[in-house]
Amino acid sequence: MGAIPNVEQGTAVGAKKRRVGRPTTLESRGGSLAAILSLIRNGVATTRLDIEREAEFGRAVVSDRLATLERLGLIEEGHLGPAIGGRAPRHVRFRAEAGGVLVAQVDRASLAVGLSDLSGVLIVEHHEAVDLSDGPDAILERLTVLFIWLLDERGGKSRAWAIGLALPEVALIDANDGDVFNAAGLDVLQAWRNFDFATELSLRFGAPCWVRSNTQMMTLGEMRAGGARGFQDILCVRLDRSVSAGVASDGRLHRGSQGYSGLIGHAPTGEAEDITCRCGAKGCLDVVASGEALAREALAAAKDGRSRYLAETVERQGDVTANEVSHGAQLGDAFCAELLARSGRLVGETLAPLVNLLNPAIVVLAGALAHSGEILLAAVREAIYRRSHPLVTRDLRIVRSELAGSAELIGAAALALDELFDLPRAREWVPLGMPRLQPSFVDSLAAAKAQRRRPQASPPSPSPAP
Amino acid sequence: MQPIGLGPHGERPFPADKLVLSDPEAERARAGRFAMAVVLHTTTSDWSRQELAGIVATLEHHDATIFEIVDCRFDKDRQNKELLRLANAPIHAVISLPIGTSGVLEGHRAVVEAGKKLVLLDNAPSGLRPGVDYLSVSSADNFGIGAIAAELTSPHVPNEGVVGILNYESEFFVTNEREIGFRKWMGSERPDATLVRGRFVSVEDAGAAYERLLAMNDDLDCVFVAWDVPALRVLATIREGARTLPIVTVDLGDEIAKELRKGVPLKGIAAQRPFDQGAAAASAALMGLVGRSPPGWITSEGLKVTRENLDAACDALWRKLAPPPRQPR
Repeated sequence: MGAIPNVEQGTAVGAKKRRVGRPTTLESRGGSLAAILSLIRNGVATTRLDIEREAEFGRAVVSDRLATLERLGLIEEGHLGPAIGGRAPRHVRFRAEAGGVLVAQVDRASLAVGLSDLSGVLIVEHHEAVDLSDGPDAILERLTVLFIWLLDERGGKSRAWAIGLALPEVALIDANDGDVFNAAGLDVLQAWRNFDFATELSLRFGAPCWVRSNTQMMTLGEMRAGGARGFQDILCVRLDRSVSAGVASDGRLHRGSQGYSGLIGHAPTGEAEDITCRCGAKGCLDVVASGEALAREALAAAKDGRSRYLAETVERQGDVTANEVSHGAQLGDAFCAELLARSGRLVGETLAPLVNLLNPAIVVLAGALAHSGEILLAAVREAIYRRSHPLVTRDLRIVRSELAGSAELIGAAALALDELFDLPRAREWVPLGMPRLQPSFVDSLAAAKAQRRRPQASPPSPSPAP
Repeated sequence: MQPIGLGPHGERPFPADKLVLSDPEAERARAGRFAMAVVLHTTTSDWSRQELAGIVATLEHHDATIFEIVDCRFDKDRQNKELLRLANAPIHAVISLPIGTSGVLEGHRAVVEAGKKLVLLDNAPSGLRPGVDYLSVSSADNFGIGAIAAELTSPHVPNEGVVGILNYESEFFVTNEREIGFRKWMGSERPDATLVRGRFVSVEDAGAAYERLLAMNDDLDCVFVAWDVPALRVLATIREGARTLPIVTVDLGDEIAKELRKGVPLKGIAAQRPFDQGAAAASAALMGLVGRSPPGWITSEGLKVTRENLDAACDALWRKLAPPPRQPR
């Protein structure tokens, strides 16, 4: 799927082959350091005794590794625990503030950036409107400017230990995949194909970068900190300018064979058969129920007088979006309310077969439309319950996202941290104190720089605006 | 100009002046005889007085009462304590301005857990869930206000000049947004200009922060100060002998308006509409209490104020005199 996974591989590809035979002291030390850090970070064992028991290392090894981790700034001594027939044990705590994760999300009309600590808690976030037609270079420059500002304010460049990035599904399509989407309406996004955001960001900030689709990052975010926390089987639906869905089964995110799972906006609805979707088919969910579809219908209603509120809005600001449909419905405009109800019904009817297939414990509705009020949510619920088998809806929960537009950022931080502290990777960098020093990552960055210097490579991007 | 900034969690803006209760909702609100508390970072600024005036006017219109107005004096611990106390008070809702995105979660959560409705002004503490723990955030379009401030700054910056940004050190959503909006406008419209930054840890520190900024940048041409109260400290520092530079700030208070009338060194103000923002916050709280979900992000557009349009701006923004803060009962 194009360049983005290359960087993922780039951080892993460089991993040196293990030699046959016993590991060297350095290798085994890295393993024990990473294993002990993992126990502390996950709260599995936080006293020396518990660590010895869980890790199955001797007292001397545990003492040595704890001293090393403390010297590296990754842990510190915490509070005293209750004494059980002797001295009270001293807990150690993972220093989540030792580093940070830069996170970003780019959507069709907005971008968001944030900085999380090493426990995945967002310290700061910022969202702003963007125009994707400016092209990926402009978006990359904007992300760079905002990341620099975030880091300048909060500890400098060394604070960035990893980068997590959520992109629109279409932006993840490899140019070599051919015209999987009809070019109509997609001209703006053509330039995004094969644009290597991950390598560019890694080069600029000296930190490994992981990329997933917005929907997949949102699903991860909802699993870790949102309404789906604690659930293992999840269907997470993104109702925004387009409609998409993320699936987690047995607690694991489903990505699909090429990483594109979730494009439910292209499910047929049997309605609006005269409207061609960007995928080339007619009557897709996206063309009848998405934010873009609502905006189109709203504009038509404003022009032909079916909605006084929308007509006034168009007169005042020249255009109308799904946001105004939501406002209109809240202010009692009957057309807006009906439009939202129809959208909700069609989304619910599309989800019903998925609910039958997957038997999720929870359906989370996220995105701007999900927060448009009760009308749409009620219509989705009604359609799912009406069109799904009673066995799969008996205990099904259908909830609205509790994270609003932060879910993708939280998911991006969670993904980056999972990768960063994955034992094979952690074994390499933990002895060095920070991931940017990991030898295989340093090698992959050097390779990317060399690639850039070759004559056929694209010229380097200009430095960010002040 | 419509609001252009997005909410703390990316919410799209709903115009503050369009947020009204329907007739049946207003009827239910009057029948409910609701009582609310207002918890502010400070009650001494003109911004706070106007914000309170908007809240009071809207609540009185719906026969709701203000149980208490709390001044937290920019103290997070005090805000937590006051909110913990109010969680057990005989009130239906709290309108609060969180002092930062961190450090005030405990108090706000206590209010929510006590079953009170919560409406926020300007900030949303990390850990509070939009639409679940709180109804709405009512604020100005601070991203747009930052852009207005940059526009006001630009004429006072020569080609390849240097602009200072003097901002609050604490993590504050609105001041962050102002700075980002300011930087974005300058980056696209004045790429020749260099931006440098200074930070003040408290309002009292603003004058000293201005001097620190000058000491580190002897080529400064103009300074943007994040809001009027620290800007007044900067102006006082200039009067006491610090180098005079054109100053641009945010919020049209009474004192800063007098300074702007003089024409030097204050050159412009990107003004909020605190009365409208307060009124919208009160409406959102009433909506929540009568069972309607108000929009998550309610904003009002900023206003560019210079010496030339000062009187018209004051007429537009200062609806009526705000009441003095009430003492706790």
